Amino acid sequence: MRIVAVANASLKRQFIDRSLPVVLSVIVFFHTHPTYAQDLGAGATVFKQCTSCHAIGPNAKNQFGPHLNGVMQRAAGSAENYAYSEAFENSIDTESVWDTAKLDAFLQAPMSYMPGTKMAYQGLSNADDRASVIAYLASIDSSGQLPEPAATKPEKTSQTSDGQQRSLARDIPIPEHGLLHLGRPALDAEVIAWDIDIRPDGVGLPSGSGDVITGGELYDEQCASCHGVFGEGEGRWPILAGGQDSLVDDRPEKTIGSYWPYLSTVYDYIRRAMPFGNARSLSDDDVYALTAYLLYLNDLVDEEFELSDQNFTDIRLPNENNFMSDTRDEEPTHQIVGEPCMQNCLPGIVKVINRAQILNVTPDAEEASDAPTVD
Amino acid sequence: MRAKNKASGSTAGAEFLDKNAGQRRQLLKSSVALGGLATGLGAATSSLAASTAPEKLITEVQDWNRYLGPGVDAKPYGQPSVHEADAVRRDVAWLTADAKSSVNFTPLHKLDGIITPNGLCFERHHGGVADISPADHRLMINGLVKTPLIFTMEDISRFPRENHVYFLECAANTGMEWRGAQLNGCQFTHGMVHNVMYTGVRLRDVLAEAGVSPKGKWILPEGGDAAHMTRSIPMEKAMDDCLIAFKMNGEALRPEQGYPLRLVVPGWEGNMWVKWLRRIEVGDQPWHQREETSKYTDLLADGQARRFTWTMDVKSVITNPSPQAPITHGQGQTVLSGLAWSGHGRIKRVDVSIDGGRHWHTARLDGESLNKSVHRFYYEFNWQGQELFLQSRAIDESRNLQPTKDALRAARGENSIYHNNGIQTWHVRADGSAENVEVS
Ligand code: HEC
Ligand code: HEC
Repeated sequence: MRIVAVANASLKRQFIDRSLPVVLSVIVFFHTHPTYAQDLGAGATVFKQCTSCHAIGPNAKNQFGPHLNGVMQRAAGSAENYAYSEAFENSIDTESVWDTAKLDAFLQAPMSYMPGTKMAYQGLSNADDRASVIAYLASIDSSGQLPEPAATKPEKTSQTSDGQQRSLARDIPIPEHGLLHLGRPALDAEVIAWDIDIRPDGVGLPSGSGDVITGGELYDEQCASCHGVFGEGEGRWPILAGGQDSLVDDRPEKTIGSYWPYLSTVYDYIRRAMPFGNARSLSDDDVYALTAYLLYLNDLVDEEFELSDQNFTDIRLPNENNFMSDTRDEEPTHQIVGEPCMQNCLPGIVKVINRAQILNVTPDAEEASDAPTVD
Repeated sequence: MRAKNKASGSTAGAEFLDKNAGQRRQLLKSSVALGGLATGLGAATSSLAASTAPEKLITEVQDWNRYLGPGVDAKPYGQPSVHEADAVRRDVAWLTADAKSSVNFTPLHKLDGIITPNGLCFERHHGGVADISPADHRLMINGLVKTPLIFTMEDISRFPRENHVYFLECAANTGMEWRGAQLNGCQFTHGMVHNVMYTGVRLRDVLAEAGVSPKGKWILPEGGDAAHMTRSIPMEKAMDDCLIAFKMNGEALRPEQGYPLRLVVPGWEGNMWVKWLRRIEVGDQPWHQREETSKYTDLLADGQARRFTWTMDVKSVITNPSPQAPITHGQGQTVLSGLAWSGHGRIKRVDVSIDGGRHWHTARLDGESLNKSVHRFYYEFNWQGQELFLQSRAIDESRNLQPTKDALRAARGENSIYHNNGIQTWHVRADGSAENVEVS
């Protein structure tokens, strides 16, 4: 009885600390299977680098890469209806299951381990990352059951349980800034870490440089699998090059060379969002090199070109002057004068002049040859 | 007294039965004509149509009248009835290369009133749905401010709060229809819009804490997802009605709607309502980010393009009947319903035509008429079984008029993708089925 009471009292204190539910679940968790939890949590995080190409889970399908449900229990290269590359079929024993050592070597540097593989991914250089992602894959059976979510976050939650008693409200100092004195001043290092935007006038550009040749190598390794070797776009992945003078055509191709007004957007966007599924992994020089290479793919610079913070704003994209502000309200039918017509507004009987092109829009519908795209 | 009551009661009953029998006969006829269509209504339709035999549903005790259902807490978080399994968001898989940079659509034809349930609000992501614990979330204000600041979620909750119902429409809603009728159903043609009540704090209050420099003319909100979504927004709008929201329809934002924080930019295109909001920079010029150059610019026929086309123009659509919601009840009393909205303010009026724009009838707006919220309209009429060409046109309080699709094409060409607010036509055939068409 006494013990319960004591436990309760300390629990209450923790409750005031607002972290009780978290604390409890972590404690319970570590008592059952601590190491298991640690690995899977880290593995799930590492696996986020793989989800742009691989699916796992109850509804997982093959994407750019095969689905990985039960991959450690099935024969290598055996995902149903998936077309593996020739390189893969030739270099892997597709009769037996993946062994951990081989998979470890594959994941470290897929493209050098297996030249010609479709897995255009630079690899995991950190051995712990490889171990944890392999443990994570091994925990997923062929039905795609994912490990319990509680297991995936032990590190973060334990951090929030400091076990400290909270100070009295009146002892917490009120900051000076602002009107309501909310928030805290940001540190320079924090602003530098997040403020990565770049403007057309070059404000925000980091110092550095990169050339077309280096950019080409990076591009082939990390971008071509989706955007195509010449920036032409594989399947429905975005097109990055070409389309010059196509803007007045029936089917304009809007690319960096044909449409984008400013080069700063190319640098900014690659740095913040690409490669898809592994954002913020490129160095500033890598991004200069890739930007230079995309200029080259768009016939805007030659092979010797090097881009840097020094010459960046000298480069103008050809379509810069074809943008104007919003003039929709100048269109003749935008506003109505007087009352709208209510009776006999159109002559003759109604004629259908065109009907829905795509009747079956369920997910399995066949791809229409000139299907529209959504941006 | 008693006897009289009983007698008059049964007379009324007989009359009622007679009338019903007549209706049933009619229904029987029309449901034969409907053929396969009636299956959607299943047992209800067939038993109604089954002549004058008493319905077993009424004369026999049903399972659900006899046995107990589940108790409280069977579902700690409640879900829709199992009979509403088709009221779900849907995507069009071939539109995009990858589900993590894709879109799905709100089933407008399944909804009524003006509020969109949280689980049915359409999704558009550029790097999948970020999973962020509120304890790990930070909002930074930096740039041309006196004191760059960091806020936790708790800090944000200490600002004065406001509640507003606003529509959010993707600028590409109806974007597939520029070249003519394409997708068959209002879910797919118009389902990139939703309307919920946000709880949040005023953006201007949060900016004031940092102290905006007089040189600050623009803000750049940024998301904390893998796309790091960014858009330039003029300071005037930021100081006017923008909110930093943490609740939708009373509960925490859904992960796919930006949990734990999203920017609310009333009346403006959905892409600007940055989800997983983690940073707002103040600057003196726009940044010309990818989503306001490569995307969300409107290419005109002459090769020029409009940029910064932020406001969502006045628009409406008939949600019922529509291709996914055919008329299954035969001729007679028919309820037509739809939605109208405008980024310029309230909807003043909606007119409906059932004959492809020859004649118009002013529809009845019902429910709340709120600023920059969708409005619900109804038009009840006696359908005589003829072919219908249903259209709706909305006018907002600033007298902006919803244009025809042809007027839009004449002004812009067919390659704009965005901001297609043209009048939609549904062709309802004599069997009640409906199709997306364009008419002369
Ligand atoms: C750029 C897309 C891409 C990324 C990112 C990627 N993969 Fe792959 N992966 C592929 C492709 C494509 C294949 C098929 C290889 C072939 O056919 O050459 C593959 C094959 C595999 C296989 C063999 C599957 C089988 O059926 O035997 C495993 C295991 C695997 N990947 C794991 C991973 C892991 C773990 C990660 C993340 C650390 C990852 N991949 C990241 C594209 C990718
Ligand atoms: C796994 C596939 C994939 C890989 C690999 C990839 N991208 Fe992308 N890229 C995408 C997708 C998807 C988008 C569109 C994202 C969105 O919806 O916002 C995109 C968009 C872009 C755009 C903008 C296109 C436009 O028209 O707006 C550029 C530029 C780009 N990527 C460059 C790169 C570069 C450079 C690399 C290599 C470092 C790279 N990408 C690697 C999938 C990929």
